[in-house]
Amino acid sequence: MRNKYHIYQKSHYIISPLGKGSVCNYNTISMGESHLQSYSGYWGIPEPFFASIFDENDIDLHRSSSQGQAYSRFESIAITAAESAFQRAEINPDSKDVLFIISTTKGNVEQLEKSKNPDSQSDAYLWHSAQRIAGHFRNPNTPIVVSNACISGCSAQLTAFNMLQYNDLYKHVIVIGAEVLSKFIISGFQSFKALSPERCKPFDANRCGLNLGEAAAAIIYSKSTETESLPDDTIIMEAGAVCNDANHISGPSRTGEGLLRAIHKVTEDFDTNRIAFINAHGTATLYNDDMESVAINRAGLQDIPVNSLKGYYGHTLGAAGVMEVILSSIALQNHNVLRSLGTENPGTAMPLNVCMQNSNTNGDAFLKLISGFGGSNAALLFTLNQHR
Amino acid sequence: MEELIYKLKEEIIDVLNLEGMKPEDIDENAPLFGEGLGLDSIDALELIVLLEKNYGIKLKNANEGKEIFKSVRVMADYINEHKTK
Amino acid sequence: MEQLFDVVATCRISDKEVLVNQESILYHSRENEQDWLSTIYHHIGLQYPKFFKMDRLCKAGILGAELLLKDYTYDHETVKDDWGIILMNAASSLDNDRHYQETISEDNYYPSPAVFVYTLANIVTGEIAIRYKIGGESSFYVMPDFDEELMRELLVQAFNADPKLTHILYGWANVDQDQYDVRMFFCKRRGNIKTSINNPS
Repeated sequence: MRNKYHIYQKSHYIISPLGKGSVCNYNTISMGESHLQSYSGYWGIPEPFFASIFDENDIDLHRSSSQGQAYSRFESIAITAAESAFQRAEINPDSKDVLFIISTTKGNVEQLEKSKNPDSQSDAYLWHSAQRIAGHFRNPNTPIVVSNACISGCSAQLTAFNMLQYNDLYKHVIVIGAEVLSKFIISGFQSFKALSPERCKPFDANRCGLNLGEAAAAIIYSKSTETESLPDDTIIMEAGAVCNDANHISGPSRTGEGLLRAIHKVTEDFDTNRIAFINAHGTATLYNDDMESVAINRAGLQDIPVNSLKGYYGHTLGAAGVMEVILSSIALQNHNVLRSLGTENPGTAMPLNVCMQNSNTNGDAFLKLISGFGGSNAALLFTLNQHR
Repeated sequence: MEELIYKLKEEIIDVLNLEGMKPEDIDENAPLFGEGLGLDSIDALELIVLLEKNYGIKLKNANEGKEIFKSVRVMADYINEHKTK
Repeated sequence: MEQLFDVVATCRISDKEVLVNQESILYHSRENEQDWLSTIYHHIGLQYPKFFKMDRLCKAGILGAELLLKDYTYDHETVKDDWGIILMNAASSLDNDRHYQETISEDNYYPSPAVFVYTLANIVTGEIAIRYKIGGESSFYVMPDFDEELMRELLVQAFNADPKLTHILYGWANVDQDQYDVRMFFCKRRGNIKTSINNPS
């Protein structure tokens, strides 16, 4: 093992249209619930769409600073997730050994509709919004924004991992993934003909596109030189990798080359028999799910149970990688593999062992996969700390 | 018809940013996709927008495009038959 | 800490000038009718029709990469997983986001897929990866200014985390309201390494 430190999850929090709190979200989806529904005439979008959107009256969407300055919906949910994660970790966010990493694709892009004048669009700048979020906690460091399209959440966790591994200034890194939807995002995906008119069906033979969703999720990562002092069932991040397909900006590679290389990088020197499940991207678009099936087969991992959580939340873009790692971590701690909601008849380019029912597992690791526009692919590997 | 074909070629060059191409450079009977113009899936989606914006034709799903975008001539025939503006 | 890598090429594109390895190669003259990025494209003799389909951020990034790599010989066909790319900017894809916003106004609502596809900051890393077949690490960060210390740290981490990595194309690529600021670099892991690139002859 090249790693100098063990990087582990100290605490986490999810706020989604399904509920508030990581465990609350986990329990709700374990019962097969989802907030995905049809929206018609919403936000002035002419065509109806199927999505998971926060209740407009939710107080956690309308927060303001101690000086009474109103935060945007995006900043509000990011602050809510971070605040609760800090409370659970009992860490002071204003310390200089805490670094903020924010994962989002579009942040406050809805600002562009409100103000046509570029000089009054400062809120639309991701770094500006990130500074408001970190500033809320009086954190002295410049927050880092990771914007790598759909893989942002996993990219951000890899950056956190490296920062803790190689930079002695930081003891804790909080990764906050957040995304709110808007006319901007929905109309764009509609123009791509990428949206499913009903609940998405990841890895299904009849899948016909994705659903979009809103959420914010935060994980605080900390480091330790040994694992003995860490509590039982702590989730440890073992490795991560990001690789580019160098194939097409919006279409996944047919051969799964980039994702395969990312999988190889994180699983080399690791006994893959330990992997309880693969939490795949599984957006339910024809090409993404086929590509993942090819990469998983080429890696020889096709017998491991695979799930996608998109049938519960839709694709939450910059939040997806963070939220799905939290839910998969809790599943691993409960020795459970979550059902891939929405999948009825699996049917991908190469066969996969799609998890059709919640089931027990003896494995003590999970693999997170994610891919996105710009040709990027990420793989992250997590294990369960068990003292035996 | 020939007028529509010429206009359509101009519109295609414009919306797909085919730098340095003139309508004369596009063979209206040659396949639009595959070899030739080097168009990809995003270009196909943009042609769907062109049909709607300039001719008031709304495709129900992207797969219909496969038939319609076989060549400029096929596209022009389709427009003649279905245009609403 | 021991120096892990050396910068082997630099380039800069501003509103006024193009510099390669600190030498000026082109000035922006007002008489030129073409837009500035197309002028640079033609000046350096780039042949890449896809360029004209890109938004301005991707155009600027492709030009920067081309300026850095044009004197090197390497395999253009095979994906090189020993090369990585890390870029940073302040405006993410906002320049093009404003353009997309115009396509969804209430009175003229025709969302453009060809514009929307460029409304992600990291598409520029994707376009560069495709053109130069870069298959290793690929990351995009958004910061208020070009934070060179953070960039150095990210490079060290990337080289440390992936022993296979030999080269990284990195830097700052910002396009915002007609303002261009590209400062890109090509660096090579130090030491006696097997690489997929030959030095300029």
